Amino acid sequence: MRSAGPRPARPRTGGRRAGWAVRLLRNAFLWLLPVWAVWTLAAPGYNRLLLAAGEALLHLAESPNVSELLPRAGGHDAYLARRDFPPARTLVRGFRVTDLHFHLVLLGALFLAVPGVPWRERLRNLGWGALATAAFDLLLLLVFVQSVYAVGLGAWSLAHYGPFARNAWGLAEHLLDLPLKLALPFALWAGFYLRLLLDRT
Amino acid sequence: MRFLALFLLLLAGGFTVVSLNWVNDRAIEPFTGWVARASGAALNLLGQEVRMEGTVIRSDRFAVNIRNGCNAVETLLIFGAAVLAFPASWRARLLGLAAGAALIQLVNLVRVVALFLTGAYLPRFFDASHTVVWQTLVVLCGVLLWVLWADRVALRRTAPG
Repeated sequence: MRSAGPRPARPRTGGRRAGWAVRLLRNAFLWLLPVWAVWTLAAPGYNRLLLAAGEALLHLAESPNVSELLPRAGGHDAYLARRDFPPARTLVRGFRVTDLHFHLVLLGALFLAVPGVPWRERLRNLGWGALATAAFDLLLLLVFVQSVYAVGLGAWSLAHYGPFARNAWGLAEHLLDLPLKLALPFALWAGFYLRLLLDRT
Repeated sequence: MRFLALFLLLLAGGFTVVSLNWVNDRAIEPFTGWVARASGAALNLLGQEVRMEGTVIRSDRFAVNIRNGCNAVETLLIFGAAVLAFPASWRARLLGLAAGAALIQLVNLVRVVALFLTGAYLPRFFDASHTVVWQTLVVLCGVLLWVLWADRVALRRTAPG
């Protein structure tokens, strides 16, 4: 049954604020699939870029240059190799490069989902966010390599790294690869859009 | 900036604490065992006829070991750090932590069940689902739960009037 009389006006500010969060939630899920598709297509090229930049940075701290990051067929995996190891043991660790940067999907979905922000601004912010994420990915790759050297090569690691260095590289890799990698898109999103959320009160 | 600094500090601190062997053995491992048992019970409700062997869920088609990383502790810590770093009353924070933890674990239960079914019936999609798809989805759910909490609970309770 519907009342024919005048209805009390709903608090407009509260309704709009709730609507913003719900639209953000809906948009984030809607953007997930297109962003994932773009990331899947771009991943092999991004992997090659990441490996080349990582190897160049590793060589800055090495003399002679012994570390190599070798892409494997398929574009998603790579080997960490050392030229100074015996030929049978040159390939010291295989790893999936694509797993280093799947947080880009989260970043894209969150940044594109924000309602009430012009497209130009959304894309510009996403660009800055992606740039920061790429720098993080490079750092993660370098720390991964150092953690393999410090804790993953048995007697060689024990001979070249002390207890403090082994713990420090292990903890740094653990923190970067799990919590910080997963939290980075949200932290960047909050850096750009927390003010928008706060200003809605 | 204060929110971000506090968020990152709480996150790094929380992860360092749960990485300690003492905490891991006494809190995280038993919690992971509980996640495995709950997932096994859910799979049996779906007629999968699984049996538990410690943290391993096994059926005639597939077996999966529930380990750290499969228990959504990372997402719980991200959500918890964001709730505690956000300017809100303690009542709103406690409400957010309790409701958020329950909902994140519910999403994680769906994740483990879906991953088991993927491994059993679509095994070639298991690896990608395990890392890229479900980790992204669980963290996204945690982030969006935080946005809803901040918008509908924390800011509403602290707003004047």
